[in-house]
Formats: sequence, C-alpha cells, structure tokens
Amino acid sequence: MSTAESTTSPNPGLWDRIGTVFTVRPLTVGLALFWVWVLARWTTDFVLAGVSGFDRGTPFIPAAPFLTTADAVASLATPLGAAGAPLVWVADTLRFTADATAYLPALAHGIWTTILLTVFSVCLGFTLALPLSVVRVYGGRWARWLALSYTELIRGTPLLAQLFVLYFATSLTQVLRGVPGVGVGFVPAQAFWVAVISFTLNSAAYQSEYLRASLESVDGGQLTAARAIGLSKLEGIRYVVVPQGLRLALPSWTNELVYLIKYSSLASFITVQELYGRTSTIANETYQYTELFVLVAILYLALVVSASALMDRVESHAATAGVGHTRQ
Amino acid sequence: MTQPLLSIDDLHKSYGSEEVLEGVGLEMDQGDVTVLIGPSGSGKSTLLRCVNRLTEINSGRIALDGQDVTGAETDVNELRKQVGMVFQDFNLFAHLTALENVTLGPKKVLGMDAADAEAAGRNHLEQVGLLEQADSYPAELSGGQKQRVGIARALAMDPELLLFDEPTSALDPELVGEVVEVMRDLADEGITMLVVSHEMDFARSAASDIVFLDDGEIVEHGPPEQLFQNPTADRTEQFLSRLHAHEETA
Ligand SMILES: Nc1ncnc2c1ncn2[C@@H]1O[C@H](COP(=O)(O)OP(=O)(O)O)[C@@H](O)[C@H]1O
Ligand SMILES: [Mg+2]
Repeated sequence: MSTAESTTSPNPGLWDRIGTVFTVRPLTVGLALFWVWVLARWTTDFVLAGVSGFDRGTPFIPAAPFLTTADAVASLATPLGAAGAPLVWVADTLRFTADATAYLPALAHGIWTTILLTVFSVCLGFTLALPLSVVRVYGGRWARWLALSYTELIRGTPLLAQLFVLYFATSLTQVLRGVPGVGVGFVPAQAFWVAVISFTLNSAAYQSEYLRASLESVDGGQLTAARAIGLSKLEGIRYVVVPQGLRLALPSWTNELVYLIKYSSLASFITVQELYGRTSTIANETYQYTELFVLVAILYLALVVSASALMDRVESHAATAGVGHTRQ
Repeated sequence: MTQPLLSIDDLHKSYGSEEVLEGVGLEMDQGDVTVLIGPSGSGKSTLLRCVNRLTEINSGRIALDGQDVTGAETDVNELRKQVGMVFQDFNLFAHLTALENVTLGPKKVLGMDAADAEAAGRNHLEQVGLLEQADSYPAELSGGQKQRVGIARALAMDPELLLFDEPTSALDPELVGEVVEVMRDLADEGITMLVVSHEMDFARSAASDIVFLDDGEIVEHGPPEQLFQNPTADRTEQFLSRLHAHEETA
C-alpha cells in the first residue's frame, strides 16, 4: 500500500530530489565540501596571504564555540554518572573538533604536497612505463630481458628501501640542492624531488606491467593489419596497438593512482611534509594520535575517492565502442 | 612482350621441419582475378602472406612488376603500399571509425594531408556502399559491413594487387552476398586480385583463373569453366565434389 501511495504522492519531483540529496548524493556533497575547503585554504594561504596581509593558516572556523558547547555538554554529563557516557563522548568530539580547526590549515598544505608528489610521479612514471612496456612486448631478446629485470627489481623490493637508497646512499640530494630554483618560493626543496624520482622509478615498473598486459591483450591481427597497409612495426605499435592498449589499461591505471596517493606518505620518512608527514608532526606535538590519524584517514579517503571519480570520467571519455568500457 | 604483374617461381616455405609450400609457381597479369582453392591447411594463407612478406620465404622467387619482392634490400613498407590485403577476421582497427580506418594508411604511409585523405576515404567508402557508416566504429558494424570497410581500407592505398584471404568465411551466410558483390565490382573495374575463397558464385562469375592448391603444391590451374567442369586431376575432382556437397547442405 505504501509504495503505491508514495509513487503517486502529490509532489514526486520534490520528494525525489530530497531523496536523491539524502540517499545517493552524500558522497558527492561530501567531496564538494572537501574541495571547496581545500581550494579556499590554498587560495588564502598560498595566494592571498602573500598579497594582502591575510594571516597564513588562520582557521576558517573559530574554535571557541566548540569549546564552550563542549564544556556545557560535559557539565550536563557530570551529575548523570555512568549514564552520562554518551554526553561525555559528544563533549570529547566537540573538543577535538575545536583542536582540528587549528590543525586543518597545516593539513591542507600537506594535501597540496601529496597531490604534487602523486601527480608528478604518476605522469613521469607513465612516460617511462610506456617505452618499457613496448620493449617488454615487442623488443628483442636482450632489451626484453633488461626491461624485465628492471621491473622485477623494482617490484621485488620495498618502496621504502628504494626511497632510502636514493636519499641516503646516493649523492642525489646534494646534486638536487645545487639545482637553481629548488626550495625557492613555491618550488619544493630537494627531499621532495628525491621522493618524486623514487616514486617515478617505482611507479614506472608497476605501470609498465599493467601496460604490458593491456598491449598483449590487443589482438595480434591489429598489428598484422597495420603492417599490411605499409606501416612500420613501430608505427603500427604507435598508431594502432598503443591507443587500444592505453584504453584497456585505464582501470588498472586508476589502481596505480590510488596506490600512489597512499604510498606517497612514505615520503614523510625522508622529511617531506606531505599530508602524512604534517599529521605525524602534529600528533607528536599534541599526543592526539587517535584523533589525528582518524582525521588524516578521512582526508586520504577523500583524495582517493576523488581520484577514482576523475578516472571514471576519463575512462568514459576515452572509451570508443568496442574498446574499453562502452559509451552509452 | 609484357611482363606479368605478379610472378611466383619455385616457391618453398617451411615452418620448422614442416614444408608448407613445396615449389609453387604462379603468374598473374594486370587485371587478372585468380581464385585460389584448396583444403584447409594446404598453404593458401601462407602463399598470400609470402606475397606481401608478412611471411619470409625459404627459397624461390616472387616478383611484382618485375621487381624482386623477397630480396633483403627490398623495402617491405614500399612493397606493402602496392599490395593490399583483406583478412578473414577483418582486423579493422578497433579504436578507429570506418573513415579513420580507411584514412590511416594514406595519412601515415602515403603522407597525404588529412583533408585529401578524408575526401578520398569517403569515395572509397562510397565505393563499398558504406558512406553512411563513415563515423561508426567497427563494433557498431555488421560482419559484412566490417569486411567492406576492410576492402575500402586496402583500396585506399591504391594498390596494384589486392590479396583476399577467405574474405567471406567469417560471415553469416546472409551477409556473404554484399561482400561478394563489392568484390565482383572491383573485378569488373580491372583490379588485379588474388583471392582465396570457396565462394563458387564469385569464382564462376569473376575469376579469370582458378588455382587448386593441395599439400603445398599447385595440382591444377585453368579458367573456371575448364577446372570446374573438366578437372584433369583426381585430387581436384574429389575436392570439388566435397565442396559441392558442402554447398548443397549449407
Ligand atoms: N605461423 C605458423 N607457424 C607454424 N606453422 C604454421 C604457421 N602458419 C601456418 N602454419 C602451418 O602451415 C600449414 C598451412 O597453413 P595455411 O597456409 O594457413 O593453410 P590454409 O590457409 O590453406 O588453410 C598448416 O599446416 C599450418 O598449421
Ligand atoms: Mg587460411
């Protein structure tokens, strides 16, 4: 009875809309809020702070109201004894929210560094991965063996070890320190670039594996047909096999992006103040480990979900009928 | 004396220890339509692939227009500009529209500019009756349409010789006709075609020569009336009667 009535309710449009907002859209709304906050933070801290005496890192929301509310709730809880536990929890959450308003500006800065780190590494890694994967599939014996060795070496050793080797055991840091512009203004300092190089080399290996699998899944007849119209092998690979392989690789490429967003947190071990680095610095000062790591988990989740959503768009944009997922 | 467009002489080809072509000889003049028949595994595809060097030969001679095809100094990409190929499985470029399939070669191999290549490509699609489908992707086309795009793609290179490897074998029976019709038009226009096909309709009406290949050897060749009506070799007769039996049940 109720279903029939509700579908013929007087104002279905409105109810549908409310229903959509509250049932299907919380993710979108949450992500939108997250990005509005991040962009507002970057604008005030990176742009406006320089121009017009804006205070860098001033919280958007004052902590005081949360603190007074928390005190009020806590005083209600005291006479209730054990039964007041839920109220105590509410008061604690409010107090943490008050603290969080003070931490969030620094975390927004960390998000910027994390995004830079990830985007640089994935893109540079891709430019290495593409030739690597082509060599893996079409190269001669020695070239194939070399590419395979590289991939296996990188995939067979921990990323943190690779990072440490580059940072501590090579002179890369000194070399980078000598490069003009590094560490000046908006250009991050050398540790950041060591991390970019390390993640690039690592990501190239993983991406080349994904790409290799995709190139191999392109039907052999495609290259034969390309050769038969007079394209050289390399041209056939470039104009026929690779464009199809890339479309097929997009889903696993999304995976790689998501991994790298999270693994970029290892850069904090070589002093890079990305999202995780900033969080642990604050946690070490305030001892609010649990709260801060819950908070940073939420922020990473927001980044990861955003990346997947973006890649979904890219995938449906790049899809042609019959290659990759089908466009409607 | 005019030299043949294609001449194949004492061609040998082995895969490992298995000799697939055992001294094949064949000549085609400009405008000839030669239909190659023979049981599965007899070496028909291999023979075609030797002509455009998708496969390297072991010994023998192939010449196109008097030019050596198989020499080490021969530029295979130059050769393939002159020899088009149509595949059993179409092998259309899956990420490209019908028009883009047809224009890729002219643009990248012949160096035509995009506008010229497209204008020419549309003409070739019209020639195979698919102008309407210019912007469709292969996955959106029927098998018959795919094969017609495959033919247009080969034609777009303006080749001297077209190779067809069982162009209708992967098609549903009701789609064979449209492809055969296009091929017959090409034959009428005087395009030189070497066709592997058991489409008797096409063989009878369009072929200038039938070649029967069995076990890597040319057993018999001649004009269609002669070879179909009065085959001289027993093997030919047996093969043809099996083919007819198959045609009647199909
Ligand atoms: N790339 C290859 N490697 C090894 N053997 C092959 C290859 N291609 C074809 N053959 C063999 O050569 C013989 C002739 O094949 P093919 O030319 O495809 O015959 P047809 O087209 O007449 O059916 C078959 O025995 C086949 O197994
Ligand atoms: Mg065959």
